[in-house]
Amino acid sequence: MTTGTKLQRLLDSAFYHDFRRDKVAIASFIILCIYVVACYTAPLIAPYNPYDPTIIDIMDSEIPPAWLDGGDSRFLLGTDAQGRDLFSTILYGTRISLTIGICAVVLQAFLGISLGLISGYFGGRVDNFLMRLADIQLSFSTLMVAIIVLAVFQALFGTELYERLAILMLILVIGIAEWPQYARTVRASVLAEKKKEYVDAVRVIGLRPMRIMFRHILPNTLSPILVISTVQVANAIVSEAALSFLGLGMPVTQPSLGSLINSGFEFIFSGSWWITIIPGVVLILLVLVMNLLGDFLRDVLNPKLYKN
Amino acid sequence: MSLLEVNNLEVRFAMRKEELVALRDVSFRLEKGERLGIVGESGAGKSVAAFSILNLISKPGYISGGEILFEGKDLTRLSLQEMSAIRGNRISMIFQDPMMTLNPVLTIGTQMTEALHAHHDISREEARQRAIDGLAEVHIPSAATRFDQYPHELSGGMRQRVVIAIALITKPPLIIADEPTTALDVTIQAEIMHLLMELCNNTGVGLILITHDLGIISQMTERAIVMYAGRIVEEGDTRDIINDARHPYTDGLMGALPQKTTPGQRLNQIKGGMPPLNGIPDGCAFNPRCPLAGDICRSTFPEYTTIGTTRVACHMAGAGDP
Repeated sequence: MTTGTKLQRLLDSAFYHDFRRDKVAIASFIILCIYVVACYTAPLIAPYNPYDPTIIDIMDSEIPPAWLDGGDSRFLLGTDAQGRDLFSTILYGTRISLTIGICAVVLQAFLGISLGLISGYFGGRVDNFLMRLADIQLSFSTLMVAIIVLAVFQALFGTELYERLAILMLILVIGIAEWPQYARTVRASVLAEKKKEYVDAVRVIGLRPMRIMFRHILPNTLSPILVISTVQVANAIVSEAALSFLGLGMPVTQPSLGSLINSGFEFIFSGSWWITIIPGVVLILLVLVMNLLGDFLRDVLNPKLYKN
Repeated sequence: MSLLEVNNLEVRFAMRKEELVALRDVSFRLEKGERLGIVGESGAGKSVAAFSILNLISKPGYISGGEILFEGKDLTRLSLQEMSAIRGNRISMIFQDPMMTLNPVLTIGTQMTEALHAHHDISREEARQRAIDGLAEVHIPSAATRFDQYPHELSGGMRQRVVIAIALITKPPLIIADEPTTALDVTIQAEIMHLLMELCNNTGVGLILITHDLGIISQMTERAIVMYAGRIVEEGDTRDIINDARHPYTDGLMGALPQKTTPGQRLNQIKGGMPPLNGIPDGCAFNPRCPLAGDICRSTFPEYTTIGTTRVACHMAGAGDP
């Protein structure tokens, strides 16, 4: 009998069992946890506050990491061109990148799941309209849409307002540009689920379409949603980094990983490679572990890929 | 007033090239607490009839004529909202495969209380209590534990009990059971039928039982309808239909029962198959397979004649025993 607390159920589940056997997944998960904990407790563990201009000394600029010649023990990973401690800046930057990634994906998921459910459940004209809309949206690349929107916004309202609203704008743009990914996946699952008898059974109970969609069909489509979510967070972080690198993302005063990479880029040939390379590695590792976790989820949640 | 009165119901399916008539001129009534059986081969229109009572035929099908009077209201004329208030509340339905009709990701309890919450203003606690009582009523042991379990933790027979409990939880006056035991093995089938019978007797609920098992019909129902190619070919008291079938199709179905054959012999069968909806022959739809078919059967559509308690659509029915 499987009674007991939720935690016990989780520990007994096949999911946890598979997870324990998969070393890559464990390692990825641990790394991701370190990332999340480190960046959200950044104000506590970072030695300096990179947003505070009063403690930044321009004389400290471009100091290499502590273990290199000319390194300074005060700055573990060195400093950037403005004299900010790179370690602290990376922690704060990762926090911004992750926040944007997660919020953008929540927005994508909200839009995509709602529209996908409606499209799949009602079918007919609604379905046609929404899916053609998705096709159109997909025919523009996310970056292109983002660049146009952000550039126009900057031109219209000036850089100052933009810098204040940068996080929000990035979330909105990345969130809206990628909804078709969710909508298509959800729609496909809904089409399959809708044919099953339990849907007839709840229609016979007299439930309203909204409740049937969200309460009955949606939970049955969750596993593909979970899988694409991990990959989409990674994608959103990459998109944000790319936009910031192009100067359309986070401002240098409040850098994300992308803008940090960008700010060091001009110094890379003068020998200050760490300003670009270290945030780059941090970004790559973050995206890599998310994709690995996504792969793991896909394998576990796909019954066709059961390994014994 | 009858509980349910179906008059001249006609259901069509609008296909790309033509309109197919899935049900033609279906009329029957069901009194309060009565148990009615509907038999027929696959494709005879049994399930379409059941779904049309709940106004749930999915596109491209639609009700093209006739009326369905339930407690005096014509269900074909109700708005979506009025119909929702009847579905699951006044009329419940039990489906064929309990493996499929329960949502795998929701607990038994959630699925049971849902109908209550949809139709009544009722607190969670009260709903939970009624659901647990409902589970006990269908003889599920340790009902309170089952309430929090998921469908995969229950066996097939258990699940069908749960489905029956869900159907009964709003205490509807009518339950439609669409082949409720087809997916279960024979011992479980007997248990479920016994349970349904018991519940009908205890609660006075009316039952429409759709099946292709004449044995079940004879045990469970008071009146029976035999359907063929979308039409009622014979209707009457179950006893008369079983013992003294008037329509050659009913007779053929009876003859096909294994009990009618001596061991070692081939089972009797009705030759041929049901005609597709777009190829129903002229005259009597059954004429190509009928052993008694004469010229009149090939040319003239048989109207209903009443013999004793049964109503039958056959030219040959009056002319002595088929």
